[in-house]
Amino acid sequence: MDLAIKDVQRHLGKFAATIVGVGLLLSIVLIMNGIYRGNIYEGVWLIENSAADLWVVERNRGGPFNEQSRIPREIYKSVAAIPGVAKASPFVTFTVQRTTMGRDQQFTIIGYDIFGGLGGPGRIHDGRQIRQAHYEMVADIKLGAQVGDRVRLGVHDYTVVGLTKGAVDLGGNPLAYLSLSDAQEVLYQQDNEAIRASRAATSQRLERAGFTPDQVQKLLPLVSTGSDTINAVLVQLEAGTDPATVIRNAKDWLYLNVYTTAQESDIVLGGRLMRMNMMLGTFRTLLVIVSIVIIALLIYVLTVEKIKSIATLKLIGAPNWVIVRLIMEQSLVLTVASFAVAYVLVMLTYDKFPRTLFILPADTVMTFAVMLAGGVLASLLGVWQALRTPPSLALGG
Amino acid sequence: MAVLSVEGLSKVFGAGELAVTALDQVGFTVEPGELMALLGPSGSGKTTLLLCISLILEPTFGRIVVNGHDVYRDGRTGVDVRRFRRENIGFIFQSHNLIPFLSALDNVALAMQLNGVDKRTSRKRARNLLEYLEIGHRADALPANLSGGEQQRVSIGRALANEPPLILADEPTASLDTVRGMKVMSLLRKIAREKNSAVIAVTHDHRMIEGFDRVFQMNDGRLSSTGDAGRTITLAPTS
Repeated sequence: MDLAIKDVQRHLGKFAATIVGVGLLLSIVLIMNGIYRGNIYEGVWLIENSAADLWVVERNRGGPFNEQSRIPREIYKSVAAIPGVAKASPFVTFTVQRTTMGRDQQFTIIGYDIFGGLGGPGRIHDGRQIRQAHYEMVADIKLGAQVGDRVRLGVHDYTVVGLTKGAVDLGGNPLAYLSLSDAQEVLYQQDNEAIRASRAATSQRLERAGFTPDQVQKLLPLVSTGSDTINAVLVQLEAGTDPATVIRNAKDWLYLNVYTTAQESDIVLGGRLMRMNMMLGTFRTLLVIVSIVIIALLIYVLTVEKIKSIATLKLIGAPNWVIVRLIMEQSLVLTVASFAVAYVLVMLTYDKFPRTLFILPADTVMTFAVMLAGGVLASLLGVWQALRTPPSLALGG
Repeated sequence: MAVLSVEGLSKVFGAGELAVTALDQVGFTVEPGELMALLGPSGSGKTTLLLCISLILEPTFGRIVVNGHDVYRDGRTGVDVRRFRRENIGFIFQSHNLIPFLSALDNVALAMQLNGVDKRTSRKRARNLLEYLEIGHRADALPANLSGGEQQRVSIGRALANEPPLILADEPTASLDTVRGMKVMSLLRKIAREKNSAVIAVTHDHRMIEGFDRVFQMNDGRLSSTGDAGRTITLAPTS
């Protein structure tokens, strides 16, 4: 006779409520798994979907994601001339916060060479790639735009011609792709007042240096801060090329820093994402421990509730394994059923979270194994209580 | 042959000046089919005696023989205690102590299954036993849905499940009214006669004394006197 199942059947409502409660807790564990993996996935999505082998950035900089990197646009031509480089493309990335599609939201603008350059949107979910040099945009669906919508950035409207799905920056913000020149304009264009103030300051400096106003007017366009800079050059190597050689050439001759895509991912994971991942990992571990403790206490309470029955079982000669099985089976039923509730709940809701939940089967299986082992461990408290219960308790003595 | 023979049984709790003698050289025998009552005030050692007989408490000295087998002798238990209880002793409790999440039938069948009887046979025999105890119509009811008297009958059914030679009852009628108490007593008498089991019952219930074959009085751990409806038996503590 399976005493554990009989008890569950008898107290179905109580067990169901407990299972739902623990299930909700375990669903948070699974969600934390998803956030943890999603954080890593999103953190390196842009890097790994750029189709680049190397990332060329400003000398002594860890950019373009962990810190600012500014290099002249034209440098990409020099990079392209390095032996072994199949393609070199200018690349701009910056995050903005604008009121778009009726709400205030943060998104990252990617500027790339739309005529076959690297770093552009991969697969288009809806619509098409950017074909015109100006005023077209490909945006991720998370931005909330539809194909044909017009998005105001700076002084121009950009027409959304295509949509991507899952194209996000390190922080999970949607990406908006523009042509390189459009992106530079959005990034560097100042408002009229700022331009006026800058020109006035430059004029004063030149006049103090002894130039006449006429000369100053002629010199002004020449001494204005250039805005034709980019953040990185993305490089695709020719088949069979040793990346180390290209890296060495770029460092020695162009005075630039070069990272492989794997190194760039490591920089991001080890830098901006590290603390967040550590926090998520710690939180996830704590949640697992809390869940196991709660299951242990529930099993302990369930055992204490049955203590007189356990004493009676001992008195009428039930061997210890019958009692241990009763407690362990209930612990396993509670753990397995709660996990099933959590899994179903997460599977039904994971795509409704504001950030990507990346539910890996391996993580789910591992969490289940840990919870199962935890459930067995948790039942030990109940088993200990049951085994130390004297049979005389049934006689009231 | 006596079902139970107890010789010079003593139980001392603690040691030295703090030692408390709960049983002091108790001795008696119980024959098959015999109904024996243990009377006495609280703390006189009645329950301790039941606990020692069922090897829940280990006696300090003495000897216990069940069905001719030495189960305990001067500090040594010669049996697997749980198995010994399953096969030889049926328990009836004051508060019935039915497993609350099992039906009446399952409560009885469980005792058989613990003793190795297969599920199908045990359920069939349990149903027959409940019929015998005139509670077959309540076989599928949970204990919470049974009256006190019905619960006590199921408890008796569980005690009889493995046809033990000895039944120990702790205040079997204490939680019942007089009518139900009398019914339980007559049931115990019927069982003792028909199943040839010996019944030892601890009781405070003087209303039920007449139902027993022998009545033992316990005071301060000693069996000081006994009596029954028709005769008086004097038992001295064994030495």
